[in-house]
Amino acid sequence: MSKIMQLSSALRGKKISSAELTKEYISRIERLNPKLNAYVCQTFDEALKNAEAADKMIKNGEGTLLTGIPMTLKDNIATDGLPTTCCSKILQGFKPYYDATVWSKLKSQGAVLLGKTNMDEFAMGSTSETSVYGAPLNPVNTTRVTGGSSGGVASAVKADMAVYGLGSDTGGSIRQPAAFCGAVGFKPTYGAVSRYGLIAYGSSLDQIGPITTSVEDAAIVYDAIRGKDTKDQTSVSTEDGKTELAKDVKGLKIGVAEEFFDGINPEIKNAIDAAISLYERSGAEVIRLSVPALKSALPVYYIIACAEASSNLGRYDGIRYGYRAKDYSGIDDMVVKTRTEGFGKEVKKRIMLGTYVLSSGYFDAYYKKACLIRSRLIADFENVFKECDVLIAPAAPETAFPSGYSGGNSIQMYLSDVCTVPVNIAGLPAASLPCGKDKNGLPIGMQIISGRFCDKKVLSAACFYEHEAGIVIENQEDLL
Amino acid sequence: MKYELVSGFETHVELATATKIFCGCTTAFGGAPNTHCCPICTGQPGTLPVLNKKVVEFAIRAGLALHCTINTTTHLDRKNYCYPDLPKAYQISQFDKPLCEHGYVELESGKRIRILRIHIEEDAGKLVHEKGTSYIDYNRGGVPLIEIVSEPDISSTDEAREYVEKLQLTMRYIGVSDCKMQEGSMRCDVNISLKERGSQVLGTRTEIKNMNSISHIEKAMEYEARRQAEILDDGGEVEQATMRFDENSGETYVMRTKEDAQDYRYFPEPDLLEVAIPQKKVDEIAASLPELPLEKYKRYTTELGINAANAKLLYKYKAVCDFFEECLRLGAGVKNTANLILGTVYSTLNTEEEKELFNIRVTPEDMAGLVKLADGGKINITLAQMTLAKMLESGKPFTEYIKEEDLAGVSDDELTELCRQAIEANPKAVEDYKNGKEKAISGLYGYIKRATQGKADIRKADAIIKELIK
Amino acid sequence: MSVTDKQLKQFARLARLDFPDEEIEAFKGEFEEMIAFWDSINSAVEGDAASIREVGARQIPLNGLREDEVASSLPNEKILSNVNGENGYFTVKRVVK
Repeated sequence: MSKIMQLSSALRGKKISSAELTKEYISRIERLNPKLNAYVCQTFDEALKNAEAADKMIKNGEGTLLTGIPMTLKDNIATDGLPTTCCSKILQGFKPYYDATVWSKLKSQGAVLLGKTNMDEFAMGSTSETSVYGAPLNPVNTTRVTGGSSGGVASAVKADMAVYGLGSDTGGSIRQPAAFCGAVGFKPTYGAVSRYGLIAYGSSLDQIGPITTSVEDAAIVYDAIRGKDTKDQTSVSTEDGKTELAKDVKGLKIGVAEEFFDGINPEIKNAIDAAISLYERSGAEVIRLSVPALKSALPVYYIIACAEASSNLGRYDGIRYGYRAKDYSGIDDMVVKTRTEGFGKEVKKRIMLGTYVLSSGYFDAYYKKACLIRSRLIADFENVFKECDVLIAPAAPETAFPSGYSGGNSIQMYLSDVCTVPVNIAGLPAASLPCGKDKNGLPIGMQIISGRFCDKKVLSAACFYEHEAGIVIENQEDLL
Repeated sequence: MKYELVSGFETHVELATATKIFCGCTTAFGGAPNTHCCPICTGQPGTLPVLNKKVVEFAIRAGLALHCTINTTTHLDRKNYCYPDLPKAYQISQFDKPLCEHGYVELESGKRIRILRIHIEEDAGKLVHEKGTSYIDYNRGGVPLIEIVSEPDISSTDEAREYVEKLQLTMRYIGVSDCKMQEGSMRCDVNISLKERGSQVLGTRTEIKNMNSISHIEKAMEYEARRQAEILDDGGEVEQATMRFDENSGETYVMRTKEDAQDYRYFPEPDLLEVAIPQKKVDEIAASLPELPLEKYKRYTTELGINAANAKLLYKYKAVCDFFEECLRLGAGVKNTANLILGTVYSTLNTEEEKELFNIRVTPEDMAGLVKLADGGKINITLAQMTLAKMLESGKPFTEYIKEEDLAGVSDDELTELCRQAIEANPKAVEDYKNGKEKAISGLYGYIKRATQGKADIRKADAIIKELIK
Repeated sequence: MSVTDKQLKQFARLARLDFPDEEIEAFKGEFEEMIAFWDSINSAVEGDAASIREVGARQIPLNGLREDEVASSLPNEKILSNVNGENGYFTVKRVVK
């Protein structure tokens, strides 16, 4: 059930004004955020102003479904005049003087931004625990992590501190926290949504997408932000108009790749199997297959992501913005001290690893080889999607871990991205949506993947399941 | 000298596009600090490069003019290094797939200096240290450059000079750069090594960075070659190093050695797609290329019969050639046009820059009109020169100075009569001439010039006078 | 694959980071663990990459690139809005100790 549609019709039917709605959300944030730490920056004054402007738009019969709807952005999406820090000390105090394309699109439709949400520092992590502001908590169970890196968005949306939010997904950072918090996360095809203004982690992998409480909402937000952008040469125009979601799955070919189920918690596997059966009963055809290159996806992802990150994060030198070390002898010393003091441990580690794989003597063995496997994986997926419309897989091998679970064992943590990274490597669209709970009551996420620019197939298949299985994502207020 | 000089050049040329390579900011030189800037060229987080089409087109133009192959696809790479004037901590450049490859520059001698590659990249900003503070200005950051890399085919400072001049000239001819070394829109890194005369074995090379004048290049090369020769003579080994040339002392010194060489960690720029270059576009650009400098020089000396020295003075300046050729097209004769340009016009243009710009107040139409009068003997060359000087000064057409009635000129009979009068009026000068003072006769010219208001052909008058007093 | 302290220092120099000696041991352990994990790809693939651009990488035609039309730059105050600049410049003052 689309929350955006409901609220939008209430706004247009004058049952409530955007200003009133925004005030309700502000009071929820004031009440819940101290427990959940989802927001790292609150922009209530601007929100109220924008809500009044949205009310005028609505009164004049202007605007879209998103006009006047309160929402949030991950803290790595640039917002003119508002702090954008990637939850890192090194961007302390940074206020961009430009808007990310996604935000300028939403702003022009009268979206109401409540604030910026928590994340792993520079989106590097799977729990949001590397944030300089401390981790956000999972509204479903506050002893559990939200997942990451868009953990703040997932937490805020799940706790109804925002109707929807935009996150970014480099290796699963939208889908995995959505799965951990029991929300819907959608990562569009690489290039379908402009990256201009998204502070880069791994440029060839990063993609902005929505976290919502229904697939229909994800489609509405996706339609509002997608399209070719002259500021992003890697962006492409996708079909015009609204993404119409198909009503049935008769004849839909669903691929199930065995590699996606290796080492998956049996409870999750059972839940996904049940979902697949539901599709089958509804007339879909299930094709069992194997994609061997998936086995290398995780190291390939980390090599490419770290390599690109080491280059992308070189610019944080204290000269033009952000944190600058206090004591230094000269400009070179200033740069080294600023970076050493300004970056957290995980970020420094990935910068070092990325520097290593690009340096002469190691380039061929790691970076070049990873690119080769990447092209093989792309080709394999292309073949898969000649046979199948979508692939169904788990969103993560486990449900939400206890806070502090990784305990410094980073490989363990990296392994939790195994289900999501192949999609980024190949630039595919994928959604994760709730499909049941484990014995501890923690949400299980199902992932639906399709070929490049088949975003509509993903959303249609997800929407069908959501309706057919009667999934309704509730607010978690009672649990808190 | 028992060594041969082996030198290759890496030349950076700033392209004359209106906007920077990855954003819409102006490329205009100068400006108050950080005023030709935007989030993209100051490396703000989240911004992305948007490649300028004209940069690629200009680079293709340069490649074709230097006889290169143009690759059908090309991509950009990141060159990672940290320096305060480089706002992203990487320069977007090209590594393994440059736009243009395998061309050459032909010298007047016919020798070819091979071009290995030409690639596109962005310029850095400017960093100035003053009294304990570093000041950074990113106006120049993101200005498009091509880097032209030659093979080590240059074997003397004369060849080096000619190579750089030819590049400069070619870029100006095809309109892709003004190549002003003093403003930094053309800069050279010079690689130098020595080998034993006749030997095939190359010595260890050093690289002198960022040279911004041809005379400095010559001095630096001479100094560096001498320095290396002394090391080799002493039985030592030249150390691979990056050097700087100190303009004041005329010496080179080591900036860094191989040990602390940079590791640029090149990888493909993920923010830009591979660019497909259709052959049709390359053909179009090739067809639009003007006659290139050396072709022009050859045509001037052969077809037009201009002597080599004069041809060189003309073809060095594209605008001069355009003006000259337009005059010829309008029917003016080669010899008089060339002489008037090289004499009268050049005497008003004092600097190289003025000649390059060739902003004169005379149109080719007026120039051609004047030259045609001289060509037809209607006015003599002296009058043509005097008139042209006035025209250059005032910007008025020649018809302001030469009236219809003047154009009849002076007939031979009239001239002979005038010469008689001149002899009578100047007995002393005639006497002196007869006594062997050749020059004394010129005293008679003034009389004839005055009498005809400069219309008479003085050379003819000279012959008549000499005949009369023989 | 093991790395030496010297190599780590070299990567740190390239990355403009500083690791105090007391941290470097612990860091080295994590670094090597990750590289060992990555080494698994070496057995996963054979052959040489002709180009490190991904196969089927999307291309942009020359005509799809940006036209060379000047857009206005931003005022100096905006450009310097995140720092304390001086006379329009970004500055770094040398602190003499």
